[in-house]
Amino acid sequence: MRLKNGALSTIFFFPAGIFMLVFLVYPIFLLIRDSFYKIDIINPSLREFVGFANYTNSLTSERFLKALWNTVVYIGVAVGFEFILGLILALLLSNAFKGSQFIRTLLLSPLMLAPLVTGIIWKFMLNDQFGIVNWGLYKLGILSDPHQILWLSDSRFALYSTIIADIWLTTPFIMLVLLAGIKGIPISLYESADMDGANKWHKFRYITFPSLIPVATVALLIRMIDAARTFDIVWVLTQGGPGFSSELLSTYMYKTLTRYGEVGQSSAMAVIFIIILLVLSSFFITKMWSPRRRHS
Amino acid sequence: MAHAPIKETIVEKPVWLTSFYFRHKIWTLIVLVVTCLLALLFLGPYLYLLLTSLKPSAEAVTAPPTLWPSKFSIENYRKMFEYLPIGKYFFNSLITAGASTILSVFFGAMAAYGISRFSSITGSYFLLFTLVIRMVPMISIAIPMYMIVKSMGLIDTHFALILVYTSLNVPFAIWLMIGFFDSVPKEFDEAARVDGCSWIGAFIRIILPVSLPGLATTAIFTFMLAWNDFLFSLLMTSTNAKTATVGISEFLTAYNLDLGPMTAAAISFSLPVMIFSFFVQRYIVSGMTLGAVKE
Repeated sequence: MRLKNGALSTIFFFPAGIFMLVFLVYPIFLLIRDSFYKIDIINPSLREFVGFANYTNSLTSERFLKALWNTVVYIGVAVGFEFILGLILALLLSNAFKGSQFIRTLLLSPLMLAPLVTGIIWKFMLNDQFGIVNWGLYKLGILSDPHQILWLSDSRFALYSTIIADIWLTTPFIMLVLLAGIKGIPISLYESADMDGANKWHKFRYITFPSLIPVATVALLIRMIDAARTFDIVWVLTQGGPGFSSELLSTYMYKTLTRYGEVGQSSAMAVIFIIILLVLSSFFITKMWSPRRRHS
Repeated sequence: MAHAPIKETIVEKPVWLTSFYFRHKIWTLIVLVVTCLLALLFLGPYLYLLLTSLKPSAEAVTAPPTLWPSKFSIENYRKMFEYLPIGKYFFNSLITAGASTILSVFFGAMAAYGISRFSSITGSYFLLFTLVIRMVPMISIAIPMYMIVKSMGLIDTHFALILVYTSLNVPFAIWLMIGFFDSVPKEFDEAARVDGCSWIGAFIRIILPVSLPGLATTAIFTFMLAWNDFLFSLLMTSTNAKTATVGISEFLTAYNLDLGPMTAAAISFSLPVMIFSFFVQRYIVSGMTLGAVKE
């Protein structure tokens, strides 16, 4: 079994490795290289080495910093709400009652929904003319005029409107992961707590919650990364507008590339973005991953 | 034994929680009501989209909006074909998502098998690499991918999207399949080897068949990633290979006053998937939680 293991592993890994090399590793290499050049997408022969100019341009640009800040807000607010809502839902659904299985199944189906469709749904519902959200709030007496809140075209609300769509789309994911975590807690822990006369809150505080921490860490990490990469939802809902009020790093990079054709500039932004994400998540990774762990 | 990861998804009837958390009937009732309300909150918007798509075209954009269609109509579904070549877009989505799923699941499974059986430390570093790849924002990798595809002269072809989706999905497929292969006892392929199979033969004849649930799970996820993709299709296609997501999004800009057909297109695009995922949700649950909850 041990003989020639390295060679065998390489043979099996080879086809997948080719794909990853050509379309993932090589692009990242290109990305880093391009970030030091000034490149015109229309005329790619115009390449000029500019050193760190693209980086300093980005880091001193107000628009970039705004997009960065918006991304941070987006991650914080969206993932925060998703976690709290997901936890509540998971705790509720962990109770067996007639139909709980069915409700769980129903809640799972939107997980397969395209972010694009989510964007369309909320674009429709948040519309200030014929959107059902404003009319609902008006009928409930919360708004005095059904056109009062311009969810997507008021710079104060645009970013948060996109966050609502994100929360709606991905809370079921957090719920699912936490639910699986709750089911993994040994029954004996609750039994012995019961014998000690623990109440519901104690059981949650001292058994359920601590047991969920490893699972929750993973779920939060995955969601944070995905929220940072959000593009579709924001693109459909606001395209980063009005102004730059809901501009995220992803939409700003896309515009820099396609509208302004500045490959070098957008590459530099992408590299900065990747570095930030790697630094943030390396904390989580070192906590949950070590090369020997899988085989121990 | 090989099916272990599927079966340990979510325990069907967690009697212990009912009895330890909520002993009283009134509590159960409150929990039931709150759960139903929350479920409605999460399903409501999609149901609203579904109802809107069944309204007469003009009724989709009236103020005040109506919840229930005044009469059920397939006008929006008829119009969506008139406005855009939506059939072709769906076909493009199906071709690119389907082909890339087959490729990435097969190559991913091979790599995962190699890592699971033949390597310890190197394999773990491959895994770390897949984890790091997941952290790279798609938009940033899309920039150089676009340049590569352009230099290969493949812009606006199915082939380009298939290559891109396969590459994006291979690390993910490896990540998922490792868990399944680890749960297949080594005795299986060792026995096949003793009977004279080559390693490749043992993999194809023994390991792949017994990990069918894992392959199905991986296939569902890779297919969804390609099917739902918007960014790469937006960037790399223009007329010929444009997929349904980009096609649907064009309703937003092109027919701003007649959004009814767009809702019809969005429903046609997602309803089959929603219904499908309803039936295969066991696999989805195991796939989603495997990476997160294992160990």
